[in-house]
Amino acid sequence: MNFKINRSTFRKLGKYKALVAILVMLFVMLFFPTNFFTRFNIFDLLNSASILLVLAFGITFVIIAGGIDLSIGGTMVVSGIVTIKLMPHAPLLICMLGGLLSGVIIGLINGYLVVYQKTEPFIITLGMGLLLTGVAQQLTDAHPIAASNPKFMMIANGFMFGVIPNLVIIMLILLIIAYAILRFTQFGRNCYAIGGDYEVAEYSGINVRKIKTMTYVIGGFAAALGGILLSSKLNSGSCVYGDTTALTVISAVVVGGTSLAGGLGGIPQTALGLLVFAVMENAMIMLRINPYIQIILRGIVIVTILCLDSYGRKKRREAV
Amino acid sequence: MSAKVKLNKRILDFFGEYLVLVAILLLVIVTIFVEPKFLTIGNMTNIMRQFGPLIMVALGMTFVIVGGFIDLSVAGLMSLVAVLTLAMIEPLGQLPALIIGLLIGVVCGLINSFLILISGAITQAEGLFITYGMSVVYGGLALTFTGGVTEHMSYMSCPYTIFTEIGTGTVGFFSTSFIIFLVVLAILYVFHEKTYLGRTINLTGGNKTAARLSGISINKSIVIIYTLSGLMAALGAIILFSRVTTASPVLGRNFETNAILAVVVGGTRLSGGKGSVIRTVIGTMLVILLANCMNLLGVSVFMQNVMRGAILILAIWLDSHKED
Repeated sequence: MNFKINRSTFRKLGKYKALVAILVMLFVMLFFPTNFFTRFNIFDLLNSASILLVLAFGITFVIIAGGIDLSIGGTMVVSGIVTIKLMPHAPLLICMLGGLLSGVIIGLINGYLVVYQKTEPFIITLGMGLLLTGVAQQLTDAHPIAASNPKFMMIANGFMFGVIPNLVIIMLILLIIAYAILRFTQFGRNCYAIGGDYEVAEYSGINVRKIKTMTYVIGGFAAALGGILLSSKLNSGSCVYGDTTALTVISAVVVGGTSLAGGLGGIPQTALGLLVFAVMENAMIMLRINPYIQIILRGIVIVTILCLDSYGRKKRREAV
Repeated sequence: MSAKVKLNKRILDFFGEYLVLVAILLLVIVTIFVEPKFLTIGNMTNIMRQFGPLIMVALGMTFVIVGGFIDLSVAGLMSLVAVLTLAMIEPLGQLPALIIGLLIGVVCGLINSFLILISGAITQAEGLFITYGMSVVYGGLALTFTGGVTEHMSYMSCPYTIFTEIGTGTVGFFSTSFIIFLVVLAILYVFHEKTYLGRTINLTGGNKTAARLSGISINKSIVIIYTLSGLMAALGAIILFSRVTTASPVLGRNFETNAILAVVVGGTRLSGGKGSVIRTVIGTMLVILLANCMNLLGVSVFMQNVMRGAILILAIWLDSHKED
């Protein structure tokens, strides 16, 4: 009896491990005299996490449907650069649509290669990421380029009501949209079905190929949107921004509880998972930890969490 | 209809099998005509020296991929081995530093394999993310150790002749690193093709359940492939920093993708179970010659990255069609 309670408590803890981690970190920060709990810092934390959150919402669709996309970092920088490159030739809205279109096209290519040509998703998207980095370098000559339209910068650096950063508002709207699509539409339910068991979903009459390709398009679109917001925030585009983005974002998604095997997870979990990294980053800076040691700590957290994810799957395999 | 499908399949098979060799030949012929400097002895030595570091990493990666896994940790591992080995030459002497450098590679490989075993990761994707995390850790350790500074071999007051010999020495026509490569290749070839342990790696990659049921210890295979990969990456790092005479804490960056590219382009099956070290040698030759020829032809480094990505995608596309 006692044992049973322990086990169910542990399972609950495992389910909310992201939330627990955030609460523990917040609790620890109470004991240090820093500016962590100021309104400015909390908004700054959310603001800096917003762009990665936008990317994470998109990749959640891909991962839930049982796929993976390592090219989102490349997609992000290319779309930002395309937007900035178009600026002298077209109005701002058209430039941004061009950037988004580039993301959708990359997503379509990824989806076509993975779903219709049945290739290994993570290596093919790794290759796509390498290719896109090359494209970004070629477009910018490997140095940062500045945006020429001053209005562009205001999108991500402006404030609503004088306090809330625009980025946070955009992120919250996208969170609600992504949550609604995944939770309340047929498309969203089908994503879970495909990730759970591809063949069963196919035999139950779901158009698996179309829907899985769609998830890659959504992933590409979200990455492009994140890229445009990033370029707007920094008012520049560069090929180096997306170096480790994909693996950081995917680790954060897994931290939240979306399994790499597919079929499990959701948008709120993803948001919590990314916040773990955001809070950790912010807290480490506040505590003035050596930046190189921060890299080590981040790596250790990623490894621990991914190992726990694999371990949980192993236990489930053995239980069956 | 059926004849047409068969023909298509045969064309695909032919390309899948010989594409790399045809591509190498075409590239070399074009370069010889456009830029005669390609055939000079200076350029040949240059190619041989560039060959050294990448082939070591790629040979180690071959075993990991044949075993059905993947190892992204080589990037961070190489940086760590390079900075630690260089730092140890002065207090410990050359030979101990060299040996300890290789041992660090082995230990890091062992850590990777233990993490994979403990967590019970069986798919390539799980291995990919765990080793990526370890790459961040190793890279972070290298950065912390040096404080982000690049170390220079020429600043040392003690002798470092062994490393100079590895980096720039020649034995007759061949560079020393090329001789090391030939010796290592021979050992690995015999290990992979002729020994029991080497063959079990293929079986593990082919079908893990079948391998376990036929009495093969998968865990042993996993430990061997990751340890070997770590050792070879350490060797690659030592050859690389001996050649450039500096050890930067980000020395190994991009080596993991280039090594995977070399292995897959050579024709080793990405899903595991099939492949050989000889194929990897051919694949690495393509990657190195591609860079060398494009440099001679004046193609920008950025376009070379685009080409590499495209070749990786093409190679995997062909690879997935072979399985049908």
